[in-house]
Amino acid sequence: MAKYVVTATVVKINGTDLSSSVAAATLELTAADVDVTDFGGSGWTEVIGGLKSGTVTLDFHSDYGAGGVNTVLNPLLGTIATVVLVPNGTAVSATNPQWTANVLVNSVSPVAGAVGDLATFSVSFPTSGSVTSATVAS
Amino acid sequence: MASITDLRAGLATRLGTISGLRTTTETPDTISPPIAIVNVANVNFDRTFQRGLDEYNFVITVIVGRVGERSAQRLLDSYVSSTGASSVKLAVESDKTLGGKCDSLRVTDMRNYGSLVIGEITYLAAEFNVVVYAQ
Repeated sequence: MAKYVVTATVVKINGTDLSSSVAAATLELTAADVDVTDFGGSGWTEVIGGLKSGTVTLDFHSDYGAGGVNTVLNPLLGTIATVVLVPNGTAVSATNPQWTANVLVNSVSPVAGAVGDLATFSVSFPTSGSVTSATVAS
Repeated sequence: MASITDLRAGLATRLGTISGLRTTTETPDTISPPIAIVNVANVNFDRTFQRGLDEYNFVITVIVGRVGERSAQRLLDSYVSSTGASSVKLAVESDKTLGGKCDSLRVTDMRNYGSLVIGEITYLAAEFNVVVYAQ
């Protein structure tokens, strides 16, 4: 196990590898904090873990070519899509696990960018259902 | 995957469409103006994952003649112009993939319009910055 510089994250949406058009990827998993404070807390609040949820945030470089980001993503608006993320390269292993999540594609940006800039856009999709990790590529 | 050499040659090809403007991808020993010299300034690797995109910043130096020549400034003005058959920006951006060698490019700005000393001769010159996005 070693620290690593982020350059080789794999990003797939519904099986299409979009890694080469992604500049940043974040999978954030959270658990709700449920308050169970009672008189026995000695003046402190007490919480337990509630429902888990997740968010997949991706920074894309726009591309309308065949198999490009916009071509793949735009038709998925309003649907559940499968996102696969591998942190550091294509070789899935115990030290480079593959994360799989179903997400709601609740926003797309068919047109984005200011004059002179590289065309980019960011999305943040909520997960739907469980998020799993695997040490063998599926 | 485009090499710097390919991209530099592609830019030189675009500049070569300007009538009367010589081009070179290597700094020449002697200057024979008007001439455009294509050099790479810096490269920003890994703009996306999986070696998907690099950003190349080129500098095109256009040298038009001795600084004292009255025609030199008029000629350089025509290269700096954003319109016209001699416009460097138009010539370069008329093929934003350099024949498929890159994803996109843009001539972002012109700078250093003025004298340029090479050897013992002072020329009139200007520099154009070009950002090229390529895999």
